[in-house]
Amino acid sequence: MSTATTHTAEHPAGEYHGGLLRWLTTTNHKDIGTMYLTFSLIMFFVGGLMILAVRAELFSPGLQLMQPEFFNQLIGVHALVMIFAALMPAATGFANWMLPLMIGAPDMALPRLNNWGFWLLPPAAILLTLPFTLALFGIGDGALATGWTFYAPLSVQGGMGVDFAILAVHILGISSIMGSINIIVTIFNMRAPGMTMMKLPLFAWGWLITAFLLIATLPVLAGAVTMLLTDRHFGTHFFDAAGGGDPILFQHLFWFFGHPEVYILLLPVWGLMPHVLSTFSRKPTYGYKAQVYSFIAIGLLSVVVWAHHFFTAGMPVPALVYFMFSTMAISLPLAVLFFCWIATMWKGAMTFETPMLFAVGFIVLFGIAGLTGLILADVAADAQYHHSYFVVAHFHYALFAGGIMGVMTGVYYWLPKWTGHMYSEKLGKLHFWLTVVSFNLTFLPQFFLGLAGMPRRIPDYALQFAEFNAISTLGAFVLGFSQLLFAWNIWSCVRGGPKVESRVWEGAEGLEWELPSPPPHHTWEIQPVIK
Amino acid sequence: MTPAFTDADLARRRAASRRLGWLLGAVVLVIYLIGLFIKR
Repeated sequence: MSTATTHTAEHPAGEYHGGLLRWLTTTNHKDIGTMYLTFSLIMFFVGGLMILAVRAELFSPGLQLMQPEFFNQLIGVHALVMIFAALMPAATGFANWMLPLMIGAPDMALPRLNNWGFWLLPPAAILLTLPFTLALFGIGDGALATGWTFYAPLSVQGGMGVDFAILAVHILGISSIMGSINIIVTIFNMRAPGMTMMKLPLFAWGWLITAFLLIATLPVLAGAVTMLLTDRHFGTHFFDAAGGGDPILFQHLFWFFGHPEVYILLLPVWGLMPHVLSTFSRKPTYGYKAQVYSFIAIGLLSVVVWAHHFFTAGMPVPALVYFMFSTMAISLPLAVLFFCWIATMWKGAMTFETPMLFAVGFIVLFGIAGLTGLILADVAADAQYHHSYFVVAHFHYALFAGGIMGVMTGVYYWLPKWTGHMYSEKLGKLHFWLTVVSFNLTFLPQFFLGLAGMPRRIPDYALQFAEFNAISTLGAFVLGFSQLLFAWNIWSCVRGGPKVESRVWEGAEGLEWELPSPPPHHTWEIQPVIK
Repeated sequence: MTPAFTDADLARRRAASRRLGWLLGAVVLVIYLIGLFIKR
């Protein structure tokens, strides 16, 4: 065994600061992964509390708890927090923790960039939520009330909460781009000898496509909100019809980012699923190449379908037809993924530990998101469902059942590896069942509300919608409070619990399971060689 | 699993990463700036 001095020069052993300074200055991928995941969990609860207030208001018709302006602010900031400050950092946390372990790299390729990428997040989150606090002291009129989409001309006319959100989105975007660059270069340049691209773990493939999507689309969002800022304060008229501008241009620019963003949130989870399914089915992943090519196809298709988000804004018929069929085409590679996931389980020696429960729950519920997405992709049907609760239910099946439950799958799968302790399986399973039941209780009624014509983003509604709204609110509160079990289980596992082996799960395969649990601060100083 | 990441090897990998990182950063900047030339 030869000496491995290289990256210990980057992170000199025994020269770590203690306390807060350690976390401020760390360049270690595991520390940064932990910070991303902790930040994500905190913001998950912040965004969750906002939407519980919204659901409380919607429990019955009429205005009970808040004014419509505040209601709108809560909805918009809830979405921005959940997307940019909870889901995306969770996926980046996974990447930081696991990519170097999975590909046999000693760390991320650009460790300092990694540290910057994380530490941009807290100020951005503060900027997003600060206007609520300022309004309490009579400063400004609260957070942005435009919904997370910033649609012009409302956002051109809105209060200073819009400026705060524009600045926050710029910072969050810079953070994500830094993370993406780091992930791409790490995958390309830091792989262990013998790990060719077609031997790359599927989690790494999912993240690679995600990172390229972020590089391609986030600058467009940044450009759009910069133009919005100049419209608001510097006399330009990009989106102001009164000055010859075009509000629909904003929708095009926003959704050129916004639709790939859906896949940015989901691809890391799709990459994780085969690992979990294969582990608990005790079978190799079915259709590795098919899944890689599906990831690439979905990534490519995701940037050419954006206008299905605003069919009703009006566009030429050929454009409607093109965006309808291109959107539907995404279901083909997605169906390939579903078949591969199911085939991986087929005739396997399956056991249902907590991560597997979440993975199977993910497949079923995310399947509903896919099928209802096909309905919304249909131009004629969309004319009725657009801006209704049907859309709200659809994207929560995609982003909660697909995104957040996917993240929970990953946490339950890798937490024993990270901490060296096993969590309470009993609590994990209870968390799963409470989550699945209350999630459906919350969002299944919203499909019917949408079909019956209830529009989204309103604090008051007609009496005919009362029962389904009451059920949905009850479900949301159970869903929200059952997440405390998740936090408690993680906390208990970090503090202690039964020790686990290197290979935490019997059927787990991959480089990461050859390392001790928890892995030492520096890993793969000696290169693993992949055969 | 014997060969270590030598200084030279890791330095080469990090240098290649920095180059690609700058290139990707430049691509981001170009896409961002294109927005300013969009015709309404």
